[in-house]
Amino acid sequence: MAFYRSIRSRRSRRRLSGSFDLQLTSMMDVLVIILVFLLKSYSASTNSFTTVPGIKLPVSASQDIPSDSLQVIITPEGMTFESERILDFIQTEAALGSTEAGYAFKNSDLDEEGRRIVPLYDALVKARDKSELLRAKSKARDENGNPLPFEGTLAIQADKRVQYDTIRKIMYTAATAGYRMFRFLAIKREM
Amino acid sequence: MLKRPSSRRKTGQHGITLNLVPILDAMVTLIGFLLFTMAFTALVTIESPFPVASTKDLNQKIKEKPLQLTITVKQNQTEIWSPFDRINTRVIANAEQGQPDYRAIHEALISVKQQFPEESQIVVVPFPGASYDVLISLLDSIRLTEPSDPPVFRRNTETGNDELVKNLFSDVVFGNLLGDS
Repeated sequence: MAFYRSIRSRRSRRRLSGSFDLQLTSMMDVLVIILVFLLKSYSASTNSFTTVPGIKLPVSASQDIPSDSLQVIITPEGMTFESERILDFIQTEAALGSTEAGYAFKNSDLDEEGRRIVPLYDALVKARDKSELLRAKSKARDENGNPLPFEGTLAIQADKRVQYDTIRKIMYTAATAGYRMFRFLAIKREM
Repeated sequence: MLKRPSSRRKTGQHGITLNLVPILDAMVTLIGFLLFTMAFTALVTIESPFPVASTKDLNQKIKEKPLQLTITVKQNQTEIWSPFDRINTRVIANAEQGQPDYRAIHEALISVKQQFPEESQIVVVPFPGASYDVLISLLDSIRLTEPSDPPVFRRNTETGNDELVKNLFSDVVFGNLLGDS
């Protein structure tokens, strides 16, 4: 009995002897390494392009970092303009159990002999009007004192299965709405 | 009388401990901010303008015979040609996987670039069913040079020196945006 009492008293004495100090140095080392890694990879992510779940972007060897602009995202399921879903595709029979995209436009979504996408055209014109209004109100002016011209750049972010036929419809639609420059987005290939 | 103990002995017993807690707080906040704001997929871009109709007189153009390098991607093959017959038309069959043979296309374009080092424009005419993946890979093989490529030099008219060409045909326009003829 006396033996157990002595152990208990020894334990309690050890607990009371001093305050507990957490060793923070090793934790600091880990955090510094993480911080350096994050800061190094942060430079590659300065744009504000969003994406949609499930999209599979192709890989490109290009080194050009895209600057901010309006963007349209195309997947085999539908089309999104500036984070707003503007149309859904019809899924064709070919899409069932196939790795290739099988989709089609609704007839009501196309005009001009199937070249122009109506919901996209409406969204682009609205965005252009908004941009021009903001430029007219802005203090930034060109050499002649006129508001800065509309840039008319559209970033296209498409799933790797999306067909060129859809891409060219988008380009044609954008051109009719006053957008003359296109940026095709892809994931940067690691060298 | 006892001698006063040395003060040096006292200071030697306790080393200075740096208070790491506020530094740790700042680091955790910074890491949280970086993780929240950073994009883990680095996006890159390939730019292409919408083609505009040439204002040059057609007769003048026929007289000048521009290169107007064109690459037509068909379901089974790729053609590299010039509408004014400035180069011999090259037909490249698809690779085994059914995709265009990017390596062969790239090599053919390098030989064209060696002939016309000043030229930077190319017209791309893909077939409607070509996937975006094929399109991006094709544009890469058209636009960019690789370290293993034979060097192509261009004469700088201002300095008179030969300069190494860094891009192949970087000004890409699509030739069939209105539909297939």
